[in-house]
Amino acid sequence: MVDNELGQLFEKFKEQAEAISARVYRVSDPPAAGRQLNNIIKELNVKKMTAATSNMVSRCIKEIGSSGVTVYTRDLRRHAEDAELGLSEVDLAIAETGTLAQDSTGLDQRLVSSLPLIHVALVRTDRLVNTFGDAVDHFYERDPLPGYIAFISGPSRTADIERVLTIGVHGPEQLHIIFIDQAGGEPGE
Amino acid sequence: MNDKKQIKRDIEKALANENLRGALGRFGDDYVGSRERAYTGKNFEELRNQIASIKGGAAERMEELAQRFTVSAQARGAKVFHAGTAREAKEYIKNLAAEKGATKIVKSKSMATEEIHLNEFLSRQGLDSVETDLGEWILQLCGQKPSHMVMPAIHMTRNEVADIFSRKTARELTADIPQLVGVAREQLRKKFLAADIGISGANIAVAETGSLVIVTNEGNARLTTTLPPVHVAVVGLEKLVDKFTDVKPILEALPRSATGQKITSYITMITGPTPAVYPDGNAREKELHIILLDNGRTEMQCDPVFKEALQCIRCASCLNVCPVFQLLGGHVYGHIYTGGIGTILTAFFNGFQNAGEIQNLCLGCERCKNFCPGMINIPKLIRELRSRVVEKNSLPGSQKFVLEKVLPNRKLFHSLLKTARVAQKPFVSGAKVRHLPMFLAGLTEGRSLPPLAEEALRDRMKKLRGPVKAGNKVGFFAGCLTDFVYPQMGEAAHKVLKSMNVEMVFPAEQSCCGVPAVLMGSRQAAARIARQNITSFDGAGVDHILTCCPSCAHALKSQYVELLEQDPAWRDRAKEFAAKVLHFTDFVIQRSDGGKKLALKKDSGKVTYHDSCHMKGCLGLSSQPRQLIKEAGLELVEMNGSDKCCGFGGSYSVKFPEVSAQILDKKLESIEKTGADIVALDCPGCMLQISGGLDSRDNKMPVKHTVEILAEKL
Repeated sequence: MVDNELGQLFEKFKEQAEAISARVYRVSDPPAAGRQLNNIIKELNVKKMTAATSNMVSRCIKEIGSSGVTVYTRDLRRHAEDAELGLSEVDLAIAETGTLAQDSTGLDQRLVSSLPLIHVALVRTDRLVNTFGDAVDHFYERDPLPGYIAFISGPSRTADIERVLTIGVHGPEQLHIIFIDQAGGEPGE
Repeated sequence: MNDKKQIKRDIEKALANENLRGALGRFGDDYVGSRERAYTGKNFEELRNQIASIKGGAAERMEELAQRFTVSAQARGAKVFHAGTAREAKEYIKNLAAEKGATKIVKSKSMATEEIHLNEFLSRQGLDSVETDLGEWILQLCGQKPSHMVMPAIHMTRNEVADIFSRKTARELTADIPQLVGVAREQLRKKFLAADIGISGANIAVAETGSLVIVTNEGNARLTTTLPPVHVAVVGLEKLVDKFTDVKPILEALPRSATGQKITSYITMITGPTPAVYPDGNAREKELHIILLDNGRTEMQCDPVFKEALQCIRCASCLNVCPVFQLLGGHVYGHIYTGGIGTILTAFFNGFQNAGEIQNLCLGCERCKNFCPGMINIPKLIRELRSRVVEKNSLPGSQKFVLEKVLPNRKLFHSLLKTARVAQKPFVSGAKVRHLPMFLAGLTEGRSLPPLAEEALRDRMKKLRGPVKAGNKVGFFAGCLTDFVYPQMGEAAHKVLKSMNVEMVFPAEQSCCGVPAVLMGSRQAAARIARQNITSFDGAGVDHILTCCPSCAHALKSQYVELLEQDPAWRDRAKEFAAKVLHFTDFVIQRSDGGKKLALKKDSGKVTYHDSCHMKGCLGLSSQPRQLIKEAGLELVEMNGSDKCCGFGGSYSVKFPEVSAQILDKKLESIEKTGADIVALDCPGCMLQISGGLDSRDNKMPVKHTVEILAEKL
């Protein structure tokens, strides 16, 4: 895909995702993503975070350094319960609806994106697709079909009391999405 | 349970509940707009055609898909159980819990588990089963049932929720919604972390891959299917689709139609067990049990008419656009599935006797049909339900007499009406009937009735002269109201046609269109009337049959074909006849270059136009009358919700006068707000309802049929 086309998909994604209360950033490489993550940690005063590891997630965490946060990457069932933030890399971003899509077969992927109040998702800019159908086709081509595919659009929400929209129910209250232009390596490594 | 008296009591209760009407009314008003915005750039008709074909095809092969699903899911390590009945499903879960020594269960929202009353059952077994969807949890805490398929607690206020949560947590909570949501998160998080079993439903089950698809917003289904080491999914057989890619159109339509969202916060696709942490702290593959629930679905599939209902994707848009649901909410339906589609599902899942009375709640406005993403002809299925109930129980004698003797016999009908006209004299004040005695009193609740015309259209027709040298000849079908109450509409039609050099003939053998018979569930009587009307136009030698009533037009065009479908001698005649039928306004637009050729005298004045349900929803006519009104030089001021029902619904206003009157009230408020001088419409039934309503409010605003406006301006 040419850069111009990607740029348009990104703009569309950003508009859609922000409309459903997600926050969207775009950075050049994993260290820059780490710095962006650091800003989020400082701004929200995060003390404990959990991360579902991947090559990209590790390179990003390296940048955190001395911000006073403890990062857990193991035994996440226990740690995700009281961590304020969860970090993970997702497979795809769907422009039309501002949706993230992830093979969440690994338990850690699900724990860090569903238990803490803040979810920070990293995604390669070149993994933008246009429609929901494109994403379904992508996973369908995988053999075997992933055991748990998660589509995530914004933070969790409810309108069950008097139809008043309230953000943050059982899942995250904040969703931050960091697009990385030059990620290097292979997705999800 | 759903006897007549119970329904009447429930209706009274619902009408007295201001919260309910506030919340539902606001939702109904917003829904149409937000749904439309969510569908921007999508082709709804194309999508629903795809869904109907996918779901219809799957319903045809339900048993085969269930087998394939079982094989695929088992190959991925899931255990699949086929439950024929609600009881089998519940027993399976009970035994599973016993085998695992499980006592703590978390549930994410599932209509199938509501349908089989799983919670009550589990708590009787001493199991702690907690609903985790916010709305469902609220209802569980106060022992109520969901009133809406998508928004179960829509009938409750924040104050009520604050009370319930305060009691639960022994804390003093205020009616602050974010705070209440926070309490739910905190309370239920503990339940999620401690649960032994998670129970969910599924929105789709894919035979090809053995996958389950779950759509949620709150994130509770993700926790239910991630934290406990055992996951049980209860899935109705109608959720099966053939291929994995079949999920695409369904998931495009479901959130858009359900809540006006382009997509929900979460869509989860589960194929086989995935790792979970067991109480010993170690992570390994969880147990995935999938219960495929029949409970009446196979019976539905075997039914040539009702199998269509299996195309439902449970979006509840038929509830959201239903004028009766908007007013009464779901509880009057008495069961889990509510509104139009709920009436049908209840008949199969909970027994026909339960649907006998609730099907009467349908006004017949047919609005839901145009919104259904599964392309289910819900009004047709409700009519079918009605006929079957009647065929089983047979009608009371007086109704039978009217349907079989009076409706087909115009002379008898007319002479009875004439007798009634004499009887109504004492009650006529000005031009309206304000009160009727005894059992007819419901007719004048909230609206006055026009008195019967001194002379019916059929008699007036004899005196009318057509054009000297007619270029064309059309037949006119009057219907009861135009014939006996508003003959001036027929005369106006005659005048307009004459100006177009068209001769209008009136075959005297024509009768009632038969809609009352259909509404009363007597298919036989309706078919007899249909044959009579078709025959009456036999010798007329006309290419077109016009009527001023969109409900008659819809009956003549669509219902006759439906009624006579199984009759080889009449099937084609009904189709030929149907092809000739046009609403008067449609004919004029087509034959007068959009009204230009009528050369109407231009007039000034403000008109607001009411879209009758059958005019817009069934005949697809809404821009046409507006064009003619503008052609007459009148200024059009749109009312809020011009296409919302006026509440007439023929005999409905007699059966449920209190419901009809409340729907009418909303319509009158919208009309009055426009500040228009005239209300225009294209249906004599709506005219009866709206002009009667205005009169009872002492509002002198004239109500005119488009044909009358045209005739005045010639």
